[in-house]
Amino acid sequence: MARVLKGLAVISICALGLTACAKTDEPGGAQTPGRQTGPVKIGISLPLTGDFSEPGKGIQEGYQVWADQVNAKGGLLGRKVELIFRDDASDPNRVSSDYESLITQDKVNLVFGPFSSRLVIPAAKVAESYNMVFVEPAGAAKEVFEQGFKRLFYAAPAIASDHYNYLADYILKLPADQKPKTAAYASLDDPFAQGTAYGLRDKLAAAGIKTVVDEVYPPETTDFAPIAAKIAAAKPDIVVGGTQFEDSVGLVRALQELKVQPKLAAFSTGPTLAEFPAAVKGAVEHIISPVGWSATATFTGNQEMVKRYKEMFGGEANEDAANGYTVGQIVEAAVTAVKCVDPTKECQDKLADHIRQGTFDTVVGPLSFDDQGRPEQAHMIQQYVDGKVQIVLPESAKTADIVYPKKEW
Amino acid sequence: MSLLLQGLALGVLTGGLYALLASGLSLYFGVMRVVMVAHPAFLFLGAYLTYTVHTVFGLDPFLALPVTVPLFFVLGVAVQRLLIARLAPENLAMMSVLLTFGIALTIEGLLGTFYTGSYKSVSMEYATRSLTVAGVHLPYDKIIAFWVAAITLVVLFAVLVKSRFGQSLRATIQHREAARLVGIHTERVAGYGFGVGLATAAVGGTVLALITPFFPASHWVWIGKLMAIIVVGGLGSVIGAALAAVLLGVVEGLVLVTVDATWATMMFYVFLFLALLVRPQGFFGGRLAHRF
Repeated sequence: MARVLKGLAVISICALGLTACAKTDEPGGAQTPGRQTGPVKIGISLPLTGDFSEPGKGIQEGYQVWADQVNAKGGLLGRKVELIFRDDASDPNRVSSDYESLITQDKVNLVFGPFSSRLVIPAAKVAESYNMVFVEPAGAAKEVFEQGFKRLFYAAPAIASDHYNYLADYILKLPADQKPKTAAYASLDDPFAQGTAYGLRDKLAAAGIKTVVDEVYPPETTDFAPIAAKIAAAKPDIVVGGTQFEDSVGLVRALQELKVQPKLAAFSTGPTLAEFPAAVKGAVEHIISPVGWSATATFTGNQEMVKRYKEMFGGEANEDAANGYTVGQIVEAAVTAVKCVDPTKECQDKLADHIRQGTFDTVVGPLSFDDQGRPEQAHMIQQYVDGKVQIVLPESAKTADIVYPKKEW
Repeated sequence: MSLLLQGLALGVLTGGLYALLASGLSLYFGVMRVVMVAHPAFLFLGAYLTYTVHTVFGLDPFLALPVTVPLFFVLGVAVQRLLIARLAPENLAMMSVLLTFGIALTIEGLLGTFYTGSYKSVSMEYATRSLTVAGVHLPYDKIIAFWVAAITLVVLFAVLVKSRFGQSLRATIQHREAARLVGIHTERVAGYGFGVGLATAAVGGTVLALITPFFPASHWVWIGKLMAIIVVGGLGSVIGAALAAVLLGVVEGLVLVTVDATWATMMFYVFLFLALLVRPQGFFGGRLAHRF
């Protein structure tokens, strides 16, 4: 009996720890010889199973659409592009060894990044040690850019803390009688999700909008009603969630049940997914979310990508696919400009230098990078208006006017 | 003060849900010392089947139960007779962890194949409203979950205490050899016991579907919580598990409104450690466990 109890305790603790095992290996550096002929091999590890399998597949599809279009145009520098995928099962240890073997054994010409900050950091360490340029589609947390990487570039409009910039500007420019006075923040304990909410919190707090609730919950949280109860007791003017999917739905439902009626409700990630309206039904109206890509935008290559995606995969393209495609666009432009695509230090140096100082036209708009590889643009702001997703900010990209205060849910 | 009351009320309701989700686990352990790691995976299998019934036939999620409860009972008997019964009895507890871990991965993989990895949800109009009593909001979905849990546990308890099957099951738990000597088919009874445990997962799955959106890997976050509940309650004690579930639900709710969510989640493990240190048989374990 006692042994069984111990066993059970071990299982419980392991289950608790499953979400938190992150250990990275630091590989030694070795040069790989360049190859001048044959296809251009691009090595990619993605979370095709496990926690991040859904976005991982989206990014894979984005890469595939890009490769398909490049090959239709005759390839990179006249050579056919071949994508080599590995599945890291959302595991930070696997992702390191995947890139290690892609570079040393498959002798790939280029590497593209995996999904999520948690996997990007260990992957970028490997790439960096082999002097490979590392353009990645999904590592927006601020920690990614504080590791001293010289060849990492994040191929999206903005890092996490800048996602809400347009919304912050909008709120701060409201006339004094409409401007919110108090705000409640609830965020998942995750570098990206927290980054988005805290970016907005810091800007609003600096301008005198009081933070009345600032709650962080662990990923295993299943019950959001008590968090909503806390928010309800503080009666905030606006509610901001640093969320992924389940928690954004959980919070919206709990806020409804606890009868919280803010003038503005913003949640990251969740509302941009197609499953969101079905999960929260009528409450979706006027919910705001930062979004890095829009299917209707007319940025370079966007409409062609949306069309080709539909032909290849049947469904509608999503933001993950667009981010993957963007990586391809940037690397393609750099390779074409510097005219080399070898895994040698000289060539990879030239590519990195080119990407660092250039501006690139992509499906998410023109992108440029700072010295640590942070993109220097901002996310658009979307809102559900009459049940449809509309871009409401910035002024230049908007498809509808922002609705504030929101209707009750 | 009203915030504390609100936290307490939500805690009691959530505790009811936990009791329902954990009841099966407690039963498997009581019947045959099997640690069933796949129970949460079966909960979400139940949730997915509810989703299918709801979206394909447009029925209320609870109308899935007449299909899923018998189905899960049969599945449970099959799992016990075909897989678990073949494990060597001397290290059954540890081997059953490995076996059921494998079952959990299989279910997760199958759900991913059939339903894809995207989020599904069953969203009913009544699930986002609440009843307000003296300034305290009681969400209807939680009230429903609480009552479904209460009814299921009462039925379960009645079956175990009153029916002839329940008597043979308890005899099997108390002393397998002696039960066999008085003519009880202990193998068959153990299979049925497992089936009953899994049938509670069908009910729990429907309730979960109503409350939270889910995807194939959703079950992992529940394993630790539910295991903590049955250890605190006393392994094998259905009533103990129910009381521990409500206790932990209340503690979680109160800590959440007074401290924060990270500490609230930690409370499960704090209580787990306390139970193992102070009362390893659980607060309702030991002799009481054999009487449920």
